[in-house]
Amino acid sequence: MDDLRQLEARGLARARAHSRRRRVATIQRRTIRGSLALFAILWAVVFAEIASGNDPALDSGKQARQAASPAPSPGTVLATEPEPEPEPEREFEEEAAPEAEAPVVTSSS
Amino acid sequence: MSVAGTHLFWITSRAAGAAALILSSCSLGIGLLIRGRGKPRRLLGSDARVLHEALSLATLAALAIHGLALLGDAYLHPGLLDIAVPFAGAYRPFWTGIGILAGWGLAVLGLTYYLRERIGQARWRILHRTIAVFWAMGVVHTLGAGTDAGQLWLLVAIAAPTVPALFLLARRVADPLADLWQAGLNDPTG
Repeated sequence: MDDLRQLEARGLARARAHSRRRRVATIQRRTIRGSLALFAILWAVVFAEIASGNDPALDSGKQARQAASPAPSPGTVLATEPEPEPEPEREFEEEAAPEAEAPVVTSSS
Repeated sequence: MSVAGTHLFWITSRAAGAAALILSSCSLGIGLLIRGRGKPRRLLGSDARVLHEALSLATLAALAIHGLALLGDAYLHPGLLDIAVPFAGAYRPFWTGIGILAGWGLAVLGLTYYLRERIGQARWRILHRTIAVFWAMGVVHTLGAGTDAGQLWLLVAIAAPTVPALFLLARRVADPLADLWQAGLNDPTG
């Protein structure tokens, strides 16, 4: 009788451990999937920002340049050809290492 | 070259940084609920510990991608020292320095979980509690150095898990103080 009870208890413990392992694996799998989904969404948002030209890094670089070279007053006559507008660069242009190259910006950004 | 191709590493680093902050806030919030009092702890059950651990490991993976992806950025092209040593880089040294410190703190203290038998439960618990300080440094780094810090979508995305985590953290700090205060009021000799 005792042997039977012992066997039953062992079986129950084994079943509980098995169900716990399965639950742990499910939580881990869902966390990995959720994290990957979160990363993919954030990646898509940042990509969309850059592709649409609304990237804060590119924007503030442009603003900084505009502030540095104000537009001429209406009465001013330009003696020379106006310089072509430089390509947008990231905001840390001034802070980055001096040897840093300008980024390659595609027509869509 | 396409936008994705040109800015692949830059986009990846920014997305991984934001993901790391969101995941770490979720992990911190659940960690605080595990050790907290009352109903939430009972609702979460024993699975909360597994979720807390999984979220913490996902945070560390996101942090590694956040730093390592910068190594491939053609514009910034930082060296290994720039991304690993606090305040050594040329780009916003203060804010990135805080971020690097936060990253190392989260990684080293988080991984002490697997050494808790060796270092002792009591000592490990003290170390584990200081993780919140490094998480807060991560929040400061995101707001100070984050390219998207002024963007509404990022503010909403990080506020959703960060504000509840901050609230729980404040409660955790305030509860023992309130207990001490209560004990002082109840103590007839005090």
